[in-house]
Amino acid sequence: MNLLLWALGVPLVTAAVGGLGGPRRFKEITMVGGLLTTFALCIAIAFEFLGGAIPSAFDEALRVDGLSALVLVLCGFVGLLSACYGVGYLRRNEERKLVTPRMRREFYGLIPAYVFAMLLVAMSNNLGILWIAVELTTLASVFLITFHDTGTSLEAGWKFLVLGSLGLAFALLGTVLLYAAGQGHLGEGMAALNWTRFIESASKLHPFTLRLGVVFALIGYGTKAGLAPMHTWKPDAYREAPSPAGVLMAVGMLNGALYCLLRIHLISAAALGPTFSGDLLLGLGLLSVLIATPFILIQWNLKRLLAYSSIEHVGIMAIGIGLGGEAGAFGALLHMTYHSLAKPVAFFSAGTLAQLHSSSNFDRIGSGTFSRAPVASGLLVLATLMVTGSPPFGLFFSEMIILRAGFSGPHPAVTAVFLAALVILFCGFAFQIGGLVLGPPRDPNDRRVPRPEQLDISMATALVAAVLAMVSAFYLPAWLLALVRAATRVVMGGA
Amino acid sequence: MNTSDLLILCAAGMLVTGYLMVGQKALFTTIRLFGIQSLLLGVVAATIAVTESRHELFLTAGITVAMKAVLIPWFLMRIIDRIGINREIEPFLNVPVSLLVCLGLTVVGYRVSTGFPEGAQGVRHHLIGVALSMLLIGMFLMVTRKKAITQILALLTVENAVFLVAVGVTPGMPLVVELGVAFDVIVAVLVLGVLVQRLVARFESMDVSRLSQLKG
Repeated sequence: MNLLLWALGVPLVTAAVGGLGGPRRFKEITMVGGLLTTFALCIAIAFEFLGGAIPSAFDEALRVDGLSALVLVLCGFVGLLSACYGVGYLRRNEERKLVTPRMRREFYGLIPAYVFAMLLVAMSNNLGILWIAVELTTLASVFLITFHDTGTSLEAGWKFLVLGSLGLAFALLGTVLLYAAGQGHLGEGMAALNWTRFIESASKLHPFTLRLGVVFALIGYGTKAGLAPMHTWKPDAYREAPSPAGVLMAVGMLNGALYCLLRIHLISAAALGPTFSGDLLLGLGLLSVLIATPFILIQWNLKRLLAYSSIEHVGIMAIGIGLGGEAGAFGALLHMTYHSLAKPVAFFSAGTLAQLHSSSNFDRIGSGTFSRAPVASGLLVLATLMVTGSPPFGLFFSEMIILRAGFSGPHPAVTAVFLAALVILFCGFAFQIGGLVLGPPRDPNDRRVPRPEQLDISMATALVAAVLAMVSAFYLPAWLLALVRAATRVVMGGA
Repeated sequence: MNTSDLLILCAAGMLVTGYLMVGQKALFTTIRLFGIQSLLLGVVAATIAVTESRHELFLTAGITVAMKAVLIPWFLMRIIDRIGINREIEPFLNVPVSLLVCLGLTVVGYRVSTGFPEGAQGVRHHLIGVALSMLLIGMFLMVTRKKAITQILALLTVENAVFLVAVGVTPGMPLVVELGVAFDVIVAVLVLGVLVQRLVARFESMDVSRLSQLKG
């Protein structure tokens, strides 16, 4: 049977089993086992693609080219990490009697469901299916954001759902307008909405309708990606969601939304030339980086800090694509890969610190965490170096590639502003994390003693993720690099 | 009355319900207005299905009427009954100013609609013009109202506008996509409903302007 259907079916069954209930150990094994199988299937699909095949299903409604394969592998990877970390996360909360049966059902059911929806996004060749899948990711993540059922988490969930739904209504309008731009050239039935069909008949699309559709679709999917100025849901949602769900949003959903943006951008580039949607992405990307900068400098909460970092990174990727040219596209996709490897470390270490101190606010955690939780603090410092793009880690190289593409291209002024923002962001991030980790140890008479750090499955996952992220800077497996190159070829208009 | 008159009448009716929703403060009436709007959308789809013999549009019409004119209004009214809050408080802008803004938005919507290939004349022009105006009015409703239920209705108005574009200018969305979208919309409304009830349980109000703890 088709590998694509297996890769979708396994997380769906895992979600159904996890949501139904049963003994705790059984549910833990189901989730980790299910998502491990899913990751293996994603890699199998990628190798099938690298072997020269184009895996597809349902009359090419699902189709895996280079771009899809890369996003699939990254989503599968982060899904597995999230499941392993999540098991430990929930166990720690169980020990403190913080978990209700509702939470158990939602946690074990919604995390695999979220992974399922993200994989569906990455495989979609049909713009209608793509929209449905993105809406499914939104619906699967709402109850993960409101997981702790406090006033602030309800606020975050409400804002996320209302803003997300409005964005998706825009994306749907964009999809409808793109379809209308076809004026019957796209053919009949399901296949008429296929992305490949749009690319084939790009020259026949009606320009005005297409432009309007591209703008609506980019704004709509940009909301899901968290590009400024549609980013406002992100800090709230990241703060309230439990860390295993947060990492799915910050890496999986971000990659998925970027995938949608790229597909729309490619249709527009094929029909109208690369500058129309490219300049739009460049503008939104630069705005995201610039907006993230001041908020990182004045931030008061660790997880919100990570959210602004994620707004920055999606901005960097959008800039890379918007600059155009092969170097920019390659830089953006390499950035996506390295970001997917580095961000989980940041989330897991920050999540552990927050859990030990029962809060993610800087004033509640207090400075000098290194003396209280050395492993998590060490990982957080390492993650900070990685996500701010310091050498010798991977994000440094990808940012350099994008900067070089920018300075040699038609937008050197934009690139200069971008570079300045990157430097300020690095300083701000280092200042915030440095103060938290290295500051003077807090008053020993403080009655709110944090819980001691222990080596459990969550910590082990964080350590493994950190080792993988570090190794990847020096040695990126040949097949993963081949996927990045294949994805670049797709973006440059090849097969 | 020929069919193109009927189409224009229904489209105009949808725009009028949009205006009335902006001017209305009683939540029950606003929900009924939304139901009428969805019913008119169903009539538009059915009329096009008959005149152009695009029979798959009957399904669109059926889904729209069943879901948005019956099921969703019933569900929202049940929520209001249960939580016992049935009036909108003073919006951020008063009614006359709001209506004037909506008039401006309608002009913008019609202006944009002239760029479409079929937009130069005829019925299609009105359908697209009304749809784009409703889209803008829905967004306006969303930013000026404070009650959670009104925000859901604003979102659904935007969705109705998108569907009007879909039946007006495309050769009909593929069936699978249509069903998928309908399923997603209904689940989204259910989830929003659950969230409203949790909000009311926690804040004893569904005034979303109180949701302002998270900043920076």
